[in-house]
Amino acid sequence: MICAGIDAGSRTIKIVLIDADSRAVIAKGVIDQGVEQNKLALELFEGLLKGNDINRGDVARIVATGYGRNIVSIADTTITEITCQAVGVRHLVPDAMTVIDIGGQDSKLLRLDRDGKVRDFAMNDRCAAGTGRFLEVVAERLEVGLESLGDMAAKSKKPAAISSMCVVFAETEIIGLLAAGKAREDIVAGVQAAIATRVITMAGRNIDRPIILTGGVAMISGMDTVLQSALEQSVAVSPDPQLTGALGAAIRASDQLNGAKP
Amino acid sequence: MNNAPGQITLEEWDERYEQLRRAGLREPGYGGPLGRHVGDGDRRLLKLRYDNSVASLRLWNFLLTEEDRLHNARAEGKRIVGTMKDLGTVPVMAYSLDNVVAFYPDGAWWIPCVMELSAGLLETADSLGIDESFCPVRAMLGAFVTGAHFPIPDQLVCSVGATCDDFSAIAQRLNGLGYPILWWEIPHRRFPEVDEAAVRLPGGFCAPKRQVEFVKSELERVRTALERLAGQRLDDKKLSAGIQKANEVRRYLAELRQVTFTAKVCPLPALEMLIAEMLAIHFCSDRDETISVLKELIDEVKTRVQAGRGVLGDDTARIFWVNPVADLQVMNLLEDCGGRICGTEYLFSHALDTIPEELPPAEALARMALADPMVGSSVDRAERICADIRRFGSEAVLISRIPGASHCALEGEVIGEVVRSRLEVPVLEIEVPPVTDSIRPTLGTRLEALIETVKERRKK
Repeated sequence: MICAGIDAGSRTIKIVLIDADSRAVIAKGVIDQGVEQNKLALELFEGLLKGNDINRGDVARIVATGYGRNIVSIADTTITEITCQAVGVRHLVPDAMTVIDIGGQDSKLLRLDRDGKVRDFAMNDRCAAGTGRFLEVVAERLEVGLESLGDMAAKSKKPAAISSMCVVFAETEIIGLLAAGKAREDIVAGVQAAIATRVITMAGRNIDRPIILTGGVAMISGMDTVLQSALEQSVAVSPDPQLTGALGAAIRASDQLNGAKP
Repeated sequence: MNNAPGQITLEEWDERYEQLRRAGLREPGYGGPLGRHVGDGDRRLLKLRYDNSVASLRLWNFLLTEEDRLHNARAEGKRIVGTMKDLGTVPVMAYSLDNVVAFYPDGAWWIPCVMELSAGLLETADSLGIDESFCPVRAMLGAFVTGAHFPIPDQLVCSVGATCDDFSAIAQRLNGLGYPILWWEIPHRRFPEVDEAAVRLPGGFCAPKRQVEFVKSELERVRTALERLAGQRLDDKKLSAGIQKANEVRRYLAELRQVTFTAKVCPLPALEMLIAEMLAIHFCSDRDETISVLKELIDEVKTRVQAGRGVLGDDTARIFWVNPVADLQVMNLLEDCGGRICGTEYLFSHALDTIPEELPPAEALARMALADPMVGSSVDRAERICADIRRFGSEAVLISRIPGASHCALEGEVIGEVVRSRLEVPVLEIEVPPVTDSIRPTLGTRLEALIETVKERRKK
């Protein structure tokens, strides 16, 4: 049998299908989020089934996660992204003790225990300044693609100081920096550093290693480096960072199906 | 009529009220259907879920008629004292005089929630230069200026010193608007030096004797002002009697907390418990009625516990809640997400401890005032929270930040670190503005995740 995890995030919807017994990934897919969120999730799901010759009846259980989890009509149940990220990352990186998840709309820091269960967590709750939205704003303002931000930042010789803790005001700062002739590379590097600073405020004084970075923002090169520098500890990017939440949801679906004590 | 414990909507309460009335319900003068309060503009009531007991009906009606009670007191010629910032000291003194009623103007911070911002109190505060960078208690300014809620007190008394900076600024602004305030100073509680005489305080704290003496002298000034206001002496005999009555309230609350928080199945919802606990600090403008309301609640809770019945399932996560919420709906949300309250620290834990009756009354009140969690360090506060977590068997701590409140800036991190290191229970911080409708999904995710974390930990 097959189990599915659907991560209905703020920017994208991710789906992972796994074998319920071996937990091997059978199919995975990502689609941009939109207004008709349930319809988009269904389209992606149906597309994955069709593309991999899977009958709907073969999917025994579906768990939805992410901020839009409650509107995924095909889900049998929902679990928060905090739990699912922990499960997904731990599956891929069995000794992970801390997970930093930077998504499009929020960022989280999860502390895990030796068994991989969430011991404690923190989430940003005031502003998008520590999230992928910050990078989107800067990419739009600098008229470059999101995917090129990492390479641009790598060329920076002197990252700009972005002092604002608010994305809207930071945009104003960026306009000012551009007007002052600051190089775009330095602005991007400054924004990455600002995100890292914002994220590590959630870490407190004690943070256990290994630290794994996941979420859509982890795919932008250089984010692990700036976090590493801010934390003064090594940070590794999770395999398939955009999909760890959906993978965790699928694993939880298989646990539920098999009646296992996860 | 279904009398099984449960939570119902306002509409359901009004139907139930009619059934109860036909069955011979007996109520105090302020009783009646809860739905009538919506007509007063309290629209938030339509979105809350309530305990369905008669005892809780009385509690809600008692709370929602406080303004009427204050206006009646004025009409009867009683003197009204607004006691600000201090949580539980001056009201004990004021209610020791038979012609004085005290209330807590800071309580106006809930008006923006209950009236869903329709009263314009925060906008009035904005216009007076006290904007959203201050705690929602700034709504109090609007309530004074509009005069549409409580009667303007004959005397305002406010503690200052080791209190919230933002509240002090708000109170000073009020003073500047022409509402004179009698300030009394409460110093930051510190541990005695080696060569200093030390005094034990309620709650297990300790302070230098000189600090207690100083607070006593400050409270003597308040006593003199109250005597002048009342036109009668507030001698030690009256004050001792007032302390005994206040202790009666505190003992009932202690019992209610103990029975509710340790019950296997939750016998009373979080919202009703929050309101009941708040009665400790100012008696909702009627001390004797507070005792009656609490007695009835305790009877109801005990009956439910003995019958093994409650308002929530038996696998709910046991959450210790720190700080009151500006939006009452969040207490319902916790329960929607699978949690229940098992332990609270709403910034006035000292007002839940009995005031020493064996001491001279002014000395006893001074010691109690110095035991206020807000006048000591956050570490002290955290230690007390840890003790209560052990007592009530809480499985996680939820720290609810109050937007703009100066004490919230750092206390959460300190409390979180102490609790994690001592007890290894998960700690989550959230921020709760006066109306949370737009952030309900994100708040819900945090609460759900905390509850999932608790339940995962049980599987070990």
